[in-house]
Amino acid sequence: MAEFRLPRNSRIARGVTHAAAAGATQVRAVRIYRFNPDSGENPRLDTFELDTKSCGPMVLDALIQIKAATDSSLTFRRSCREGICGSCAMNINGVNRLACTTPMQELQGDIRIYPLPHMPVVKDLVPDLTHFYAQYAAVKPWLQTRTPAPPDRERLQSKEEQEKIDRPAACILCACCSTACPSYWWNSERYLGPAALLAAYRWIIDSRDEATGERLDELEDPFRLYRCHTIMNCTDVCPKDLNPARAIAEIKKMLVERTS
Amino acid sequence: MNMRSPLARVLGAGSARQGVHHWWSQRVTSVALVPLSIWFLVSLLSLPSFDHWVVSAWMAQSSSALLLILFVLVAAWHSQLGLQVIVEDYVHAAGARIVTLVAITFAHVLIAAAGVLAVLKVALRSAQ
Repeated sequence: MAEFRLPRNSRIARGVTHAAAAGATQVRAVRIYRFNPDSGENPRLDTFELDTKSCGPMVLDALIQIKAATDSSLTFRRSCREGICGSCAMNINGVNRLACTTPMQELQGDIRIYPLPHMPVVKDLVPDLTHFYAQYAAVKPWLQTRTPAPPDRERLQSKEEQEKIDRPAACILCACCSTACPSYWWNSERYLGPAALLAAYRWIIDSRDEATGERLDELEDPFRLYRCHTIMNCTDVCPKDLNPARAIAEIKKMLVERTS
Repeated sequence: MNMRSPLARVLGAGSARQGVHHWWSQRVTSVALVPLSIWFLVSLLSLPSFDHWVVSAWMAQSSSALLLILFVLVAAWHSQLGLQVIVEDYVHAAGARIVTLVAITFAHVLIAAAGVLAVLKVALRSAQ
């Protein structure tokens, strides 16, 4: 059966509070999930009182500030700080989003930061995305053709054809969508999840691709595709404003259309 | 210990290459249930009373009997499809899942057959 409670060793204990430095004027409490696999202890929720005057406006700025000034063991992924690499996806005040594009000002009350939900945690805010990336690889996210490319130029595509894949191809694989999906929580070992299905759709509708049928064959499965119950958390949380729910609906429509 | 590669775990036993029929049947039965349930409620509520003879006389009309049989069959079918999804979502052990799905199918066939039999008994008895 599905598990509705966290396993015993995953339940979150009360953590440490790091008080703000003397003279801090704009203090905000930042509560951060901490887990160290080497300690053998349960995860805990630490509170950092942060002087927001002394750091940048985004949640990622707060994390960097805390790591630099208060606790250098705080572990998180980050790279581009402009919403294009997808590294700093985490659960902030209950919603999956990118720390680098989330202004602290938009958040109500204390700032609460957890790793992406329902994934194995490597350390602190770093989830293990091995399975998620394998699901992306499983949909063969590359151009498959039988017709050889023209010898003197690239494969051509009209403007309208390009526009179809323009948005779906903008996915940064941050995993906000898949880890926000209850169906993915219960069945991620067999359900591909919104991110992988959006990637599959991006190649299914690519006018240059010649493996549309095989791609649809591979998706037609009660679990791989049809575990999507149109909950639409994926579209709700996507930090790039993409629409995986629509892509999945389009795949379902194409599967019906080819039978009748 | 599971030493399979992450990709092998995702690929598993491969695509079942089915599911579209189930998904489409669920949509079509739900569309069919819209007029059928409206008809059922409206005709039942517009009866002068719920006395036994009033309701059985209504059921005995050919049009009511026909639509009632369709309503019972489509509702049972739709319910079986929906419960199957819930079981597939939450029952993860393969053995338990298959046994539950078979039991649900049997129960729905039983309910549908009993419903049809009931309508026919009332309708045909009154026709004599």
